[in-house]
Amino acid sequence: MRFIARFCKEKRECFEIITVYEESTKIEEISKESPRIKTLAKKEPSAIWFERKMQDDFGIIIEDAFDKRPLVHQERFPRDLHPLRKDFKEIQLQEAPYLQYKYEEISGDGVFQVAVGPIHAGIIEPGHFQFSQAGEEMLHLEVRHFYKNRGIEKMLEGKTLQEAKPIIERISGNESIAYQICYRDIYLQATKQELPLSLRKRHALLLELERTIHHLTDIGFIPNDAGFGAALSFASKLSEDARRKMNELTGHRFGFGAIDFENSFIDTASFHEWLNDLKQSVEFFEDWIIDIPSLWDRFDTTGILPLKKAVKYATVGVIARASGIAIDRRINPFYLEHGFSLASEVSGDVAARFKVRLAELQNSIVMMRNFLEEDDTKLEVTEIYDGEYQSFCESSIGELFMAIDIKDGLIERFFVRDPSFMNWQAVHIMMSSDIIADFPLINKSCDLSYAGNDL
Amino acid sequence: MIKFWNKRVKLGVITEKPELEESLKKIHKEIKENVKKKFAGSLAIRMVDSGSCNACEAECNALSNPYFDLERLGIYFVASPRHADVMLVSGVMTFNMTPHVKEAYEQIPSPKWIISIGDCPMMQAPFEKNYAINAPVTEHLEVTHHIAGCPPNPVEIMEGFLEFLKKI
Ligand code: SF4
Repeated sequence: MRFIARFCKEKRECFEIITVYEESTKIEEISKESPRIKTLAKKEPSAIWFERKMQDDFGIIIEDAFDKRPLVHQERFPRDLHPLRKDFKEIQLQEAPYLQYKYEEISGDGVFQVAVGPIHAGIIEPGHFQFSQAGEEMLHLEVRHFYKNRGIEKMLEGKTLQEAKPIIERISGNESIAYQICYRDIYLQATKQELPLSLRKRHALLLELERTIHHLTDIGFIPNDAGFGAALSFASKLSEDARRKMNELTGHRFGFGAIDFENSFIDTASFHEWLNDLKQSVEFFEDWIIDIPSLWDRFDTTGILPLKKAVKYATVGVIARASGIAIDRRINPFYLEHGFSLASEVSGDVAARFKVRLAELQNSIVMMRNFLEEDDTKLEVTEIYDGEYQSFCESSIGELFMAIDIKDGLIERFFVRDPSFMNWQAVHIMMSSDIIADFPLINKSCDLSYAGNDL
Repeated sequence: MIKFWNKRVKLGVITEKPELEESLKKIHKEIKENVKKKFAGSLAIRMVDSGSCNACEAECNALSNPYFDLERLGIYFVASPRHADVMLVSGVMTFNMTPHVKEAYEQIPSPKWIISIGDCPMMQAPFEKNYAINAPVTEHLEVTHHIAGCPPNPVEIMEGFLEFLKKI
């Protein structure tokens, strides 16, 4: 049973703790006067962030937790405030006196700490990495996030599904299409509608295009972090081309607002032509980069996530597939009919993650070709029924999970678990046999989202 | 490597592709002149994300791709605020990031300027003000120039830089 998510809902009489597994969902009701639960983290290590988040958001007490530090709330966040409770209505907080966060640290003779972040040296998102070092060797890493927490979950409560859409598509810019598809599936469930095949194909095409852009960016940036800049120049040209295609198809370079229920015209001929060019370029790239031994010297055996740990931490997406887990939300008849094939490696290192991306890139090109068609189907908007809905989508990072409760036509609770939320919790394992200079490379090879993680 | 050089010769120079040439050439020339005049040929920018969706960052990264290649105009993204002339702020100024953003600004040697990028810092993106958001950024820092868009595309960012350069 793969662990997927654990989150809290506030009901009139009680709190509900929902634990989602691959095949089942468990609901535990706890009283509001004394909201206490037992930790799941002893069995599922990645439950810990979910529980610490619950503790901050709702004030749930995790009785036997071994880590009770705040997660989302940081040094200056007012104490004992639980923003996701229904009676919390403040919109401006005053900074509280600074309270030191205790990092997980290894101490000892000659062991020292390196603090990195939250602001990093490149054009990237903010987050904190705390290393315990013995010389160059990393003994331990604690990943600390939620600097970007925008209170999205609370922001969406009380809105209609339509009002929520522009916000949902901007939760994580790199995964916008995936978020929109999760939203779409919930919308369809709530309106009891079926999606016409041609629209489904259009959406799937856009999702693969988004993946293509993301992977193209990564196959440039990963070698760049190993000191091979030429790859970045080459791949960033391709990703810019792909982004322009996205703009051509959807009117937006990131596809914001693209997943709608109206098929618009695609110039299939020029798209095919572009796909052919892209295929050639990617093949050339692979052929070229495979021949650069000094690069593979850096990639091979760096940042290993062993299969056992990848399973234990319930990792998803590219990272899981690079460690030998056959997991992908696209393993279903619709995708298989359109040429999907699972990319998988077993070594779990930077090289494996790089190769998985290359393979997926090529597979996406095949699928996009199969998804392409000219059509003008439309789906009418109908009434929305109240209920509790869930959906999944395979974003360019991994499995995305979304849950929306609708009451009286309005969002009662919005929860989303970005694939990054799972995978960040496994990143520290990759550091165990490497030196700190490898960290940027390892981190880039995972390319996780901060915005989607922090919400 | 021979493969690569073959390919390179075949591909040629793609920077300033013809389709972009007209609109970009003018901006390029002006930026270059302004950077030369006002910043002795090199304008250093420190980008700080205060709670974005990452699309604004992606567009700034795109400025370094071979089509735009911003650095040849003398504009650099630098690794430390202490090397910077300008802080470029994206995102909604989250409660958690606010102290760090201010700290980064303090670390920039004077004279210094702030450019805000994207609709987020001005609270014009679809996000709503709540407990976790401290935007608009103008309530916390003095912004010299704003580049609107959600996200602004690379050409709009370049135009924004140019407008900033003309302003100061
Ligand atoms: S302005 Fe738009 S694109 Fe930029 S960070 Fe905000 S939501 Fe994302």
